[in-house]
Amino acid sequence: MIVPAPSSVPDYLLVVEGLEQSFGGVMALAGVSFRVAPRLIYAVIGPNGAGKTTLFNALCGYYRPSAGSIRFDGRELLGLPPHRIAAQGVARTFQNLQLFFNMTVLENVMAGCYRRARSGMLAAALRLPLVRREERQLRAWAREALELCELADRAEQPADALPYGLMKRVEIARALATRPRLLLLDEPAAGLNDTETMALRDLIDRIRASGVTVLLVEHHMPLVMGVSDRLLVLDYGSVLAEGAPAEIQADQRVVAAYLGGAVQYAV
Amino acid sequence: MRLAGFYVFAVAVILLPVLFPDNYFVTVVGISAGLHVILAVGLNLLMGYAGQISLGHGAFFGMGAYASAILTARYAWPAPLAMVAGLALAGMIAWLLARPILRLRGHYLAMATLGFGIIVHVIMVQATRWTGGPDGLTGIPTLNLLGWPVDSDSRWYAVIAVAMLLAIWLSLNLIDSRIGRALRAVHGSEFAAQMLGIDTGRAKTQVFVVSALFAAFAGSLFAHQQGFVSPDSFSLMVSVELVTMVVLGGMASTFGAASGAIALTLLHAGLVVFEDYEMLIHGALLMAVMIFMPQGLFVGLSQGARRLWRVSRWGGGN
Repeated sequence: MIVPAPSSVPDYLLVVEGLEQSFGGVMALAGVSFRVAPRLIYAVIGPNGAGKTTLFNALCGYYRPSAGSIRFDGRELLGLPPHRIAAQGVARTFQNLQLFFNMTVLENVMAGCYRRARSGMLAAALRLPLVRREERQLRAWAREALELCELADRAEQPADALPYGLMKRVEIARALATRPRLLLLDEPAAGLNDTETMALRDLIDRIRASGVTVLLVEHHMPLVMGVSDRLLVLDYGSVLAEGAPAEIQADQRVVAAYLGGAVQYAV
Repeated sequence: MRLAGFYVFAVAVILLPVLFPDNYFVTVVGISAGLHVILAVGLNLLMGYAGQISLGHGAFFGMGAYASAILTARYAWPAPLAMVAGLALAGMIAWLLARPILRLRGHYLAMATLGFGIIVHVIMVQATRWTGGPDGLTGIPTLNLLGWPVDSDSRWYAVIAVAMLLAIWLSLNLIDSRIGRALRAVHGSEFAAQMLGIDTGRAKTQVFVVSALFAAFAGSLFAHQQGFVSPDSFSLMVSVELVTMVVLGGMASTFGAASGAIALTLLHAGLVVFEDYEMLIHGALLMAVMIFMPQGLFVGLSQGARRLWRVSRWGGGN
């Protein structure tokens, strides 16, 4: 178990302590604590309804937890609205796609660059030279993110014309375009075939290599065990176990509650 | 090219009065269509792009018109100054209204804006001392642009055409920018937009204000062009008609909104000959467009034209 540490431990990018969230009497998060060191791939697993997506939504300010704290790089995120949390360097993808279907792939990712530019409404409406320069820059940044996600050839297509697997990758590219320090991936492998899942694994590795810390909610165990540095296991809104993949696979309580049987996964 | 459609449209607008001089449909109906285009393009920023409805936009149109009417006819203000005052009034009221009202969604937002439109209309009718009540205000001077009096239909056509092209140009620029993408993101998924660092409340407020400014701008021109304003021009029906133009033309496209405005204006003018049956035919045509071209006139007609072109080129549909 995690011993509550003095807050703002510099070794950790994200320190969550005693997070509680209830919905009409049901405790979706019953005092969740964990710490994520920078540049790690940190996975959150657990049965359906364990509170994984609730945890993500609480971290992003979509819910307002009734107790606990979320310290990100020493700053308290609890109580901030989502756009201020995003401004701190937190980005995410969504379990149920939240792409902007009224835009092209490139525009989706350019929307992700929102905070990296300054120009306001009037300058935009008059298309001042400053705006033209900025647009060129945003376009270049967006193309960079698309290339990282191997989507460069899809840039001009409408977002709703892509196959499902690629839509999920556009969400990742859009999140990366915000230049996050922490990226939350909510079931990125759901609905992907094996080839796509392998490509996703490579992508997550590349993202980590670029210096981004990844928090991953995922059910695909080979992917999780293969890509993660550490795991957090949630069950009924509480932390069941925390540790390296090998430790988690050897943990009898986790096996009983979630992994089931004597399953071994390639690490 | 980004503005190719805009240039084609601009050339058409300039050529029309040259090809058809002194034509009623060009000069008289054209002026009215141009004003409607400004209104619809502004409303489309809010509705089509940001995904927020307003059933009270006639109110902002009226604010611009009455501000210009009262200040120039009663207090002899110079017209440009009165126009700026009208824009400031509409912008300020839109800003004050936006925060509480845009927190609502869907039907609730429709109801709230509807209520706002009704309140403003009631004020126009009841505040007789200022607005002249149901009889309206007369004696509004025409515009005088640096010694060039706008005193004929063709001159008004020129002024409105320039104003309309300006509105379209501003809208096209805005949509294809960082701010425009933020607005479309709000429409696409508000939570996802927030997670990109977009303050969605602020974005909605801004677009509501801009959209009100477009309406007030059109209102001010309308007052000077008509020389007379009365509450009838800013009733609930007008607000509904504006929404119809945006939807009819095809949402989320500046030229869609513009074509909806032009089509509806022409329809009104053309159906006058049917007298009592006008509204009946009007309604039936709207229903037909929505059934057969659910994406609106602009997309529907351009697809139809493309199909026709293909058929005429290869013959017989294959």
